[in-house]
Amino acid sequence: MKNKKFVYGVMIPTLLHMTVFIIAPIFIGLFISFWNYNPLSSDNSFIGLENFIKLLSDADFWKATKNTFFFVFVTVFLNIGLSLMIAQLISYFKSNKVRSFFRMIFFLPCIAPMVASAVVFNRSIFPTTTGLLNMFIKALGLSPINWLGDQKVIMFSLIAYTIWVDIGYNIILFSAGIDGIPNHIYEAADLDNTSEWRKFTKMTLPLLSRTMQFVVVQTLISHFQMFAQFSVMITKDGPNNSGLVLSRYIYKQAFEYKNMGYASAVSFVLFIIIMIFSLIEHRLNKSDWEY
Amino acid sequence: MKKIISILTICFLALCLVGCGSNDDKNDDVTTVTWWVHQENSWNIAHQELADAYMATHENVKIEIEIFPYDDFESKVQTSLINGEGGADIYEIWGGWGIDFAPTGALLKLDDELANKIMAESYAPTYGALVANGGLYGVPCEFNTETGGLLVNYNVAKANNIANPVPATWEEMIANAKAVSQLDETKDVLKGFDFVNWDSVPYLFLSMILQQGGEYLVSDNEINVNTEEAKTAFETLTNLVLVDGVSNLEGLTGGSDMEGYQQLYAGRCLYVPRGPWSVAEGVNTFELALGEDFGYVELPWWSGNVAYVVENGWSIAGNAKTAHPEIVNDFLNFVYEDENMLKLNVACSQIPSKRSIAESDEYVSQMEYVKPLLSILDEAEFIGFFNTDRLKEAVNDAFVNYCLGEYASVDDALADLNVTLNSIFE
Repeated sequence: MKNKKFVYGVMIPTLLHMTVFIIAPIFIGLFISFWNYNPLSSDNSFIGLENFIKLLSDADFWKATKNTFFFVFVTVFLNIGLSLMIAQLISYFKSNKVRSFFRMIFFLPCIAPMVASAVVFNRSIFPTTTGLLNMFIKALGLSPINWLGDQKVIMFSLIAYTIWVDIGYNIILFSAGIDGIPNHIYEAADLDNTSEWRKFTKMTLPLLSRTMQFVVVQTLISHFQMFAQFSVMITKDGPNNSGLVLSRYIYKQAFEYKNMGYASAVSFVLFIIIMIFSLIEHRLNKSDWEY
Repeated sequence: MKKIISILTICFLALCLVGCGSNDDKNDDVTTVTWWVHQENSWNIAHQELADAYMATHENVKIEIEIFPYDDFESKVQTSLINGEGGADIYEIWGGWGIDFAPTGALLKLDDELANKIMAESYAPTYGALVANGGLYGVPCEFNTETGGLLVNYNVAKANNIANPVPATWEEMIANAKAVSQLDETKDVLKGFDFVNWDSVPYLFLSMILQQGGEYLVSDNEINVNTEEAKTAFETLTNLVLVDGVSNLEGLTGGSDMEGYQQLYAGRCLYVPRGPWSVAEGVNTFELALGEDFGYVELPWWSGNVAYVVENGWSIAGNAKTAHPEIVNDFLNFVYEDENMLKLNVACSQIPSKRSIAESDEYVSQMEYVKPLLSILDEAEFIGFFNTDRLKEAVNDAFVNYCLGEYASVDDALADLNVTLNSIFE
């Protein structure tokens, strides 16, 4: 009985917090999406599904959706591939100090606020005339590239920055997962002279499936919601809206156009997209093993 | 133990009650009013001097100025006016916000005497966004023009043997710009006439329509750019990039390390059309000498006719929910007095909203570089009662997309633009 009280005591504040700040806003957002709600207007009428119907013919919404999917799939794929590879490479070092050193190096970009590092990339790395990247390119005798102003290049620049800024977190998670695999499992493989590649694909990867599931869901969710670099690094969503993503579109509708109802409808669609992907991922990565 | 807990609880509740108390300082019959302004050192000094001057003659009033960085300021002002609670008594507001808040009753309606005075003595385009429901909802401080002034880098002109760096005509300006332009990015880029920025493209577009005798506003809530005048204006502007090559699209598409006017100060542009606010940065940040290294001159008018639009600039308004409307109104009357407005305009490097100040020798002697603009203030029209950011976004998008080849013809671009512009009123 005492134990139950303790559990309730711990859980109730968390549940209250979740209800007020996570669950309730979802329902309030959904409620607002049925209204033509503008906080500056005295006439906020109930319009049913009109905002959702309007989405179907909104070219900017579709462009933002397309850009979001492209950005998320490429960054999540690259992020997980690279972070897993780096975590595995780091695990080959015998010394704990060396391993910690490399983990720290890769984790450093995660510590800096994303807005600040986005400004640094925007002002120092990517600019056409004085940017570091183009200085190298010019030194090689090649034509400079407008990294943040060319509609064909802009998304790749944002992806490169996102990988740099976000990869450290997953490296730490994969490193912890790899370190958690018991050594005796590998010892058996060593006796059979199994190649490193085979050990990685047949042992490490399957045994990392729980970590992988967490990493994939977390990365998917956070990348669908990425906002800072799209807001700070590019000018007004880039030429021809080539850098417009759903999170930026929600902000634009809500706070620049004050169309809160419409922005809520877009938010709800984004919520559904994230939920579907999380469920699919959860189904695909079910694991029922123990060390 | 119980006693200690009871005492602590009482202390906590007492503290809460003190914390929840009114911020009105009623001690010694002094009434405190708050004034929110955005952070800008020279401006804030002027704000404080204005408040001090008022308090010196009104000993029973204390004006507390609260300063916020611009982004925080914008969101705080807007949030407090939307919620109708927790804001200041007096706000420094950007003119465009007037369109959002004047009709909703969030701002304090000026007394009729002051309103009539402003309408009689100030340039009409400076208060258009503050007019609603038959009243005026703020004191305009600034004549906010982005058209009419031209930054010239004399050093660039000299290095490129331009004999007449201050152009007398549009054609002369474009000829000079073409002579110096070098947009090949493998070498050092030099732009002749960098008009491609958030403000200049839309303002030049609208100005060119008016210069031909055309109109873009059909009524208070309808815009028409499917006209011959708009087509000519759009073609002229896009040709400057596509045919004359005097600028590129970086100012709107992004990718540069600086804005166009900053590039001019860095020696990478010959001409940039911008408002007078840009001059201070050349002198203070880039440490250039006005009149020697660079100049601020009159932009030659494309057709020879002076016609342009402006939107409202910085203004001061009261909160409709203030507990002290008489004091706020009295302070706004005080701000509008010639002597005080002159000090504010000079300290903030603003073109005055008030005709008597713009025409005064005292102002001109202290703000000599804005002279090219003072003679054309009467020719300006108010841009219209709508969200100007959305208009700028629509015009800039059409401009960039046409230059990128996204439209088959100017007519297609303008047809699309017309739809987007009219959606602002929905």
